[in-house]
Amino acid sequence: MTAVLSPTAPAPAGAAGVSGVSGRRRFLGPGAKLLLGGTSVLVLAVVSMFVGVSDVSLPGLLSGDEHAWDIFWISRVPRTLSIILAGMALSVAGLIMQLMARNKFVEPSTVGTVESASLGILVVTVFLPGASLFLKMSTATVFAMAGTALFLLVLRRIPLRNTLIVPLVGIMLGGVIAAVTTFFAYRFDLLQTLNSWMVGDFSGVLRGRYELLWIVGALTLIGYLAADRFTVAGMGQEFTTNLGLNYNRVMTLGLIIVSLISAVVVVSVGSVPFLGLIVPNLVSLMIGDNVRRAIPWVAIFGAGFVLACDIIGRTIRYPYEIPVGVIVSAIGSALFLYLLLRKRSARA
Amino acid sequence: MKKTLKSRLVAGTALASLLALSACGSDTSASADATADASEPTTVTVEHTQGTTEVPVNPETVYTFDLGALDTLDALDIEVDGVPAANFPESLSKYGSDDYAKIGSMKEPDFEAISAGAPDLIIMSGRTADSYEEFSKIAPTINLSTDAQDPWNSFVSNTEIIGEIFGKEAEVEDKLAALDTKVDETKAAAADAGNGLIIMTSGGEMTAYGEGSRFGLIHDVLGVATAADIKSEAQHGESVSFEYIAEINPDNLFVIDRDVAVGNAGEVASAVLDNELVMGTKAAKNDRITMLDSSSWYLVGYGLNNVDAMVSAVQDGIS
Repeated sequence: MTAVLSPTAPAPAGAAGVSGVSGRRRFLGPGAKLLLGGTSVLVLAVVSMFVGVSDVSLPGLLSGDEHAWDIFWISRVPRTLSIILAGMALSVAGLIMQLMARNKFVEPSTVGTVESASLGILVVTVFLPGASLFLKMSTATVFAMAGTALFLLVLRRIPLRNTLIVPLVGIMLGGVIAAVTTFFAYRFDLLQTLNSWMVGDFSGVLRGRYELLWIVGALTLIGYLAADRFTVAGMGQEFTTNLGLNYNRVMTLGLIIVSLISAVVVVSVGSVPFLGLIVPNLVSLMIGDNVRRAIPWVAIFGAGFVLACDIIGRTIRYPYEIPVGVIVSAIGSALFLYLLLRKRSARA
Repeated sequence: MKKTLKSRLVAGTALASLLALSACGSDTSASADATADASEPTTVTVEHTQGTTEVPVNPETVYTFDLGALDTLDALDIEVDGVPAANFPESLSKYGSDDYAKIGSMKEPDFEAISAGAPDLIIMSGRTADSYEEFSKIAPTINLSTDAQDPWNSFVSNTEIIGEIFGKEAEVEDKLAALDTKVDETKAAAADAGNGLIIMTSGGEMTAYGEGSRFGLIHDVLGVATAADIKSEAQHGESVSFEYIAEINPDNLFVIDRDVAVGNAGEVASAVLDNELVMGTKAAKNDRITMLDSSSWYLVGYGLNNVDAMVSAVQDGIS
């Protein structure tokens, strides 16, 4: 099923296009292209560091303006770093999720992982209002893992793994968990607080408040190193065992990586929907389904996409902000629809 | 079968209470006739945000969805029978008990409970504005919202309406006059206190509010100069970053903590604001960061006692 989305699909109509894509691929080596992608993200990062309410300019920094340097280190650098880390990690988490569920239309925010993480934070907030960030994060992770495991469990029991059934099951499960969360938030008068967790926002990021996100940076690296295992595990338990891999261990590793990334991001900046879905799909449209090769691209695209969205959110209502979650949702849902419709017309 | 029994029961109770009420009504009017002159009217015509309503004088059973109105009624010692289930602030905590009928949440009315209770007057405001028609079918209903563009005058007129309905005009007059004096004092103090910025924190993020907003009392009525020209017509202010606060660099910072509903009063917001950028502002350096009581400002708003408390909070903050 997943093959339909990839350029190597055996669709007769697409044959000409496929050769065209691979022809272009040879024009620039993959390494050079990756470098180009990395440079674009770097440019966006520099732009991001010079967009803000306070006056921070390159000449100002060079001339040693102390106030400008303060703002730069306290606010601008942490914000840009946290955007890059969160964007990379969420996109890679989406890819891993897709390999584990063997479906291109799932990601942590559509299968209940993010919903479970916020239920976890809600539980901590209600029962231990003064809980430390670490406790909040741990609880959110445990809940996220339980929610994701539940999804994978339900998935195993579904006899017909139709491409559309899988995300549908995920959305339904996520909906049930979100309903429970909303009910409790309503009961404890926390609806609006819940809302602020669910909309990703980097406006509160400062030095000393984002360092947790380095964890997701490390997890992204682990995801990269274990990428081939997830590809194999995605083929099914018997196939994996035949290749001499421990299926359960690989699935648990994936579960931990995806849940931890989702939980840390929700705790520190809030949820950024669709990211893990769009980025891997766009990358697979561009360079195909080789996961090991796709992961660096997914990371670069994810970081660049969130950087661009945050810069937009900071500029269109300057000096006020529009949360990045809103911008990503708006652009993301349009791209998601495009991917869905494109797929249908390709099949027809 | 079950359903018919239940509806019959409800109808029965409603009928019984109606009979009881009409009995009460004739009783009071009879005694009123005996003590006062016969020309005293039995109803008042109230003009409000959503129309004109004929309201009985001294209604027996009073339901209110607006905590500001509840606060005013409480200040005037008027008995209230039904309130929404809400996170009541300290000053109104007694209304959380089971002695008071719970008629839904602040935003979602429980119509069954309301109609079973057969109130004689329902006071509501913007949060339940959509239900006005439904309410009106059950009992005379008035919408006493505060107009954000002209909060003080609409607060005064709402309070006077309540005074008129319950025959407490003189008391209302006195209390409003006392408030006026207090407002004037605060205004005088505000003239020397420099400018101010209103911030609400929620989940580690901040929104800023200006003139004409739900917390506009500080600027519009008490005359604290605005540190930034925030023109948001929306109920929810403008999303801002810490850099914004540092750049505006206000003389006074007023903080409302939306997360306080969980219990940890003030602690959460102060943790959010405890960073190098906010601590560098004039407000922080001169110890002019005022933590406002979130239920008082966010939930209750314009009520006779509560306005007094809000004005005091600002007065303490700037002096």
